[in-house]
Amino acid sequence: MVRKTLERKISRRKFLGTSAASGAALAATGTGLSRVSFAAGHTIKIGFLAPLTGPVSAWGKPGLDGCLIWADWVNAKGGVKIGGKSYKIEFVGYDNEYDAGKAKTGATKLIKEDGVKFIMMLGGDPWPGVEKIAAREGMLFSTLLPSDLSPDTKTLLAPCEVHPIYNVTGVEWLAENKKNLKTAAICAQDDSLGKPSVATYLAAFEAAGIKMVDAPLFFDPATTDFAPVMTKLLAKKPDILCLDTCYADYVHPLCEQAFQQGYKGQIISCTADFYQKIIEKTSKDFMEGFVFQFPDFDDPALNSKAVNFVKPNEFYAEYAKRYGAKEWGAVSWEYASIMDLWADAAAKAGSAEPGPVLKAMKAGGTGKHAFGDAKWWGKELFGIDNALVGNWPVVVIEGGKAKIKAFKSIPAWWDKHSKLMIKHMTALGQMWNQR
Amino acid sequence: MPEPAGAANPENSVWRIAGRLKLVFLFAALAVLPYLLSYSQQEIAVLLVVNVLLVCSYRLMTLTGEWSLGHVVIMGVGAYASALLSKRLGMPVPVSMLAGGIVAAGTSAILSFPLFRMKGFYFLIGSFAAGEIIRLIWKRFTDPFGGPKGLKRIDAFPDIDTGFLSIDFYEPVNYYFLALVVVSASLFVLYRIERSRIGLTFHAIHWQDRLAESVGVDTFRYRTLAFVIASFFAGIAGGLYGHYVGAVNPTRFGVDQMVYVLVWAIVGGTATFHGPILGVVVLTVINEIVLRGLGLDTVRPLIYGAILILSVLYLPDGLESVGPRLRAWVQRRRAGPAAAGGGAA
Repeated sequence: MVRKTLERKISRRKFLGTSAASGAALAATGTGLSRVSFAAGHTIKIGFLAPLTGPVSAWGKPGLDGCLIWADWVNAKGGVKIGGKSYKIEFVGYDNEYDAGKAKTGATKLIKEDGVKFIMMLGGDPWPGVEKIAAREGMLFSTLLPSDLSPDTKTLLAPCEVHPIYNVTGVEWLAENKKNLKTAAICAQDDSLGKPSVATYLAAFEAAGIKMVDAPLFFDPATTDFAPVMTKLLAKKPDILCLDTCYADYVHPLCEQAFQQGYKGQIISCTADFYQKIIEKTSKDFMEGFVFQFPDFDDPALNSKAVNFVKPNEFYAEYAKRYGAKEWGAVSWEYASIMDLWADAAAKAGSAEPGPVLKAMKAGGTGKHAFGDAKWWGKELFGIDNALVGNWPVVVIEGGKAKIKAFKSIPAWWDKHSKLMIKHMTALGQMWNQR
Repeated sequence: MPEPAGAANPENSVWRIAGRLKLVFLFAALAVLPYLLSYSQQEIAVLLVVNVLLVCSYRLMTLTGEWSLGHVVIMGVGAYASALLSKRLGMPVPVSMLAGGIVAAGTSAILSFPLFRMKGFYFLIGSFAAGEIIRLIWKRFTDPFGGPKGLKRIDAFPDIDTGFLSIDFYEPVNYYFLALVVVSASLFVLYRIERSRIGLTFHAIHWQDRLAESVGVDTFRYRTLAFVIASFFAGIAGGLYGHYVGAVNPTRFGVDQMVYVLVWAIVGGTATFHGPILGVVVLTVINEIVLRGLGLDTVRPLIYGAILILSVLYLPDGLESVGPRLRAWVQRRRAGPAAAGGGAA
């Protein structure tokens, strides 16, 4: 009966006709939208080439969400002023699935077809697929992982996150404020994010006089059962459990395992993305005192005059309104803060073209980093001064909420302990000339 | 090969000519295709052609009835070998690609000794374990494999410049044609192997291995042969990939990628030579062009999963069964009124 009704109602001709009309409408809508944007005539496209799906998407998707807020705010004010004209900003996203081949395709599309003027990336494994295009096309790229930097690519910048060097600030703060902690154990996924971060933590622990109870434990990124990892980590009863720069998909089960195995000591980690969910899976008491590096932007400490990020508390409120407070992650603000730098540089250069913007951004060797004025640095570690480095916050979970405890200077630590950092980076083969 | 019965039949000649004409049209379409695509779609086409070789070589392996979970790792062996030989030893890239295939085949030959002591599900798990061991070796030994970050700045395929002819293989359209030539030649060899006496033996081992053994077929040797041949072409696919993208790392050849190969083979079907090709082409177009074009980047895994479930439910014999089903349906439709007419008369 249903079949007969369907046959009566949807003849083949009608179906084809409707499909064609829908297709035409869809095409017209798409074209129409493009025309509206171009009719305005003053739109600059920015590429967003990061993992939007898969295990690393926690460091891509929230960043794109943050950028959309940034664009809405800037466009509502009339856009970015460049050379006396106002330009609206439009983000064009491409999911690179954290794969070099897909990143290559994505970069090609963004540059050749979408005509973007600047591309923001997470970096890491996808970067080598893009490196050649960046050099050939002279496109300006940014990465959150300065380990991608090398003297071979002059147009790649790390203008926000100098991962993993800022991790030294968390260890330094811990050593200053919890002097009873003398030993640590560390684990990380065995990949391009985990290793340099382990080298950094080892240097920071050594500088702080904290001894490692065991060699770093590297687990395979395909690991799903973290019980044996945690059992091994806790076997020698460390005072500090260091989760390095594990992805959110690992930090959560690692914390759950530590909780289930009765660990009650100090935890330090680079990130604690979606930490409210970790609290739900463990307890408020268990997470009390958890040290990491990425603040919630509703933190009053961010209203300090030294902080350059525009309206951090309002940004967080808007993000929580649109996507939910539990979706706030380490990168929610980072790409937006890079856009602040880019917009300033484009305004100064009077052009959105990659060359002049790069020149304006690096003028004077200093820049306005999200957490305060900073300098372009990195020659010793990355072979090129393309990382913007200054202060970085140390964040502690107190009463179930992340709070900034201090802003600590990365260059100050580097001036005192650079040899240690180079020693550990070299030992793990992470120096720029070893990569 | 002996001529099949009825080869002299004029009707067979017509089918043969029709088949060759189809091939001519197919190659003409493939030659025109990149010029109808955007620049980024040309990039996708390059990777698609490489994946066609990967999945077809995988099918040859499955002819003996064994499904491996290590085929993508074997592709990686070819990619790593080719990259290292060109980077470290200065071997010309075309030679290193071939050598990459040989190293992949050699690795499989060694692995076949422990692996073919197992069958079915046990072989599947064994192949997964073997693949993981290889991946861990890449990660563990930073020198020469680059550790977790893998190898980057791999030498590109050398440009051709003869004065009047200049081909830059950085351009995806040029690399597409290079890959197309290599893959077409490889597919021809794979096709001929399947149609040869060796291929028939593979099939026999798949359906009746005990019976095959009882008539003197050394199943271990034939299974090894299928594994080695399939691995050689997977290694070539790896070389094509590595020298195009310029980077390889252990994650790229993980079990996630292997799942994609299985999905392509299952959705396309493995009963015919063209089944897996249909699978990889249709699913890649849907995933990389249609869904991205519709702005559904972030929900692609969800839709991809739904397509897989639907195809398993409604097309259990794969996309390759769509053509025969349609033909049967058309024949039934034609036969229906004719039969009815005949009845009336």
